[in-house]
Amino acid sequence: MRSSERRRSLRALAAGLAFASPWLIGFAIFTAYPICASLYYSFTRYDTLSAPHWVGAQNYVRLMTEDELFWKSLRNTLFMVAFGLPASLAAGLALALLLNMRLRGMALYRTVFYIPSIVPTVASAVLWMWLLNPQIGLINRLLAKAGIQGPGWLTDPVWAKPALILMGLWGVGGSMIIYLAGLQDVPRELYEAAEIDGAGGVARFRHVTIPMLSPVIFFNLVMGLIGTFQYFTQVYVMTQGGPQDATLFYALHLFNRAFTDLQFGYASAMAWILFAITVAATALVFRTSARWVYYPGEMRQ
Amino acid sequence: MKRRELLKLGAAALTAGALGGCGSKRSAREVLLRYWTGWTGHELQVQRELIAEFNRSHPGIRVKILCVAGSYQKVPIAIAGGDTPDVCSAVWADQLYGYASRGALTPLDGYLARWGRSLNEWMPGVRRMLRYNGRTFALSTTANSNFIAYNRRIFAECGLDPDRPPQTIEELEEAAERTTLRDSRGNYIRYGLRPGGLQIWARVFGGDWYDEENGAITADHPGNVAALAWLQRWFKRYDIRKMETFEAGFGSLEASTGAFYTGKTAMWQTGEWAGENIRRYAPHLDWGYFPLPAPPGGRKNCVQLGGSVFVMPAACRHKDEAFEFLSWICGQYASRRFCREIHNIPPLIEAAQAPEFQSIPLMRDAIRLAGGENAFGPAPVAVWPMYQREIQRAEDRAIHGGGRPAELLKEVQRRVQREFEEAKRYAVF
Repeated sequence: MRSSERRRSLRALAAGLAFASPWLIGFAIFTAYPICASLYYSFTRYDTLSAPHWVGAQNYVRLMTEDELFWKSLRNTLFMVAFGLPASLAAGLALALLLNMRLRGMALYRTVFYIPSIVPTVASAVLWMWLLNPQIGLINRLLAKAGIQGPGWLTDPVWAKPALILMGLWGVGGSMIIYLAGLQDVPRELYEAAEIDGAGGVARFRHVTIPMLSPVIFFNLVMGLIGTFQYFTQVYVMTQGGPQDATLFYALHLFNRAFTDLQFGYASAMAWILFAITVAATALVFRTSARWVYYPGEMRQ
Repeated sequence: MKRRELLKLGAAALTAGALGGCGSKRSAREVLLRYWTGWTGHELQVQRELIAEFNRSHPGIRVKILCVAGSYQKVPIAIAGGDTPDVCSAVWADQLYGYASRGALTPLDGYLARWGRSLNEWMPGVRRMLRYNGRTFALSTTANSNFIAYNRRIFAECGLDPDRPPQTIEELEEAAERTTLRDSRGNYIRYGLRPGGLQIWARVFGGDWYDEENGAITADHPGNVAALAWLQRWFKRYDIRKMETFEAGFGSLEASTGAFYTGKTAMWQTGEWAGENIRRYAPHLDWGYFPLPAPPGGRKNCVQLGGSVFVMPAACRHKDEAFEFLSWICGQYASRRFCREIHNIPPLIEAAQAPEFQSIPLMRDAIRLAGGENAFGPAPVAVWPMYQREIQRAEDRAIHGGGRPAELLKEVQRRVQREFEEAKRYAVF
């Protein structure tokens, strides 16, 4: 009796695995194996053209002690995490609040503001090269109307990163949609209760909207964190790391080391360090989340 | 039981099919060669025509061309996977030595000798470029040259003799100064010249990037430092930020090109390809050209050779046939035809003497420059791509105001030297 039951459950497991096998095999070959292999390669000197040579921790030591571009690219990336990420989170939220108002034709506005985030990154990067053009670009034209002489955005080391942050704000549609969904879930009676208690607009936002939205903010923060650490396509297209390494981000330096210099072992070590940093940053955000993320479900317990 | 029989039947059917296929097709014993190229557009079209011609005249070989433009990373990945094309021109000369030193390419000297070809058919600078550590690793079918184009009308307007373009660095500086035009606020209406590329200007100032005799990196060579200092002074004098702001208004992605056509810059550092572009886009432009002038003790008529080269990966499966194709596509006939169609100059001395090139003064001069003693390819070191990036970084930092040239190049020296030493330890060739 028991053995036939066991056999049946084994068979069910086999069938389940068989049905999941297209994904399992794909995951094993195209994700799990490359990840494990890159960990091994990070301890080797590997150029893909000849067999890898084991060098121990040499790549890691070099990165930390001899490669000033490693630190420079890390600093540049942290700049984006520290300034670009909060800016885009705030912009996404602000936009979502605006688009949550009850107005005629709101569906149209929502679509319009979402459209930039479905434009391919390369296409929007090329578009922004024009917008940011110091002479004929729209942005400096507008600034000129206000009597301000705009900078040479992408050619000035001081303004290159802010230019990229500005460009990032254009593509907040993805997080905006998630905020919007979260906003629609905030029970109206909470606002009504707050209003009866005499809360104004700012107080309602501060004490009702923000707490109720905190899980969504948390989600966007974590996803944004991971995405920002991997910032690559825009600078690969627009600046190639210049001017004066101002936009040399971690992932671009990694790419150069791998595909231009054929230092795949070194680049793998860089990838694992980036992974560790991303995990640490995410863990930190998770640890603080208990203090500021509010889940309505947890109240009942 | 039943299943096994079915399997047997299936296997039999498959075998029969395969054998049948062999019988009908293999009788010609045709060898299929895979050829990867990075050329696109018109260039790719001409390559296709040449390959069709090769396939017609070589019944035992069939070459299949694949365009991998925009994804040259495919090449190292294909080599890593052991599944490479048999012949590949999706390789920049800049990448050649990295591949060669790591044993990824087939040395060609034996094949050249067997096919009665000699590297001496190529121009001396090109010849040097195709070799690494005493072996030949590539052939080429195109070459290039460099010069400065100038607007004759602007020269005349500014009191310069259009028939006697600058011949020394001082004269170049003077011509640039006199042709530069600013508005009342000091913004440019036109500038004289934007010199670019420390790599070539270092050669002009007598510098070197690599000492082949002693096998040493020479990034901080006094000539290199002098060139970088000269570039830094130039961009300080003309204020790089103002120049870049002005350039941004040229309004085309190929900014420097259009600027010269429309007279926003009086001189333009370019190469022989400018001739065809001007003929097509600005046919009424009154222009001339002169080789890069040099300071005393420097090198006159410098050219930076580069571009695509043809290689045979080590994993090539049909080496004899592959070389037959390689030798043909980089031969006198194919090179002459290809270059004529795409307005390039042939690197083969004999092909370059053909009337279709020699009858055009610009092409004739370009060929003389490319074939001259001061035509240099990339420094023949495995770490050249990284070296080149470091040179560009030093130039970028120097002209945007940061750092002293000697120190910047010392840093390049230090970074590249380290990588160079290590690459040597793991090199196959």
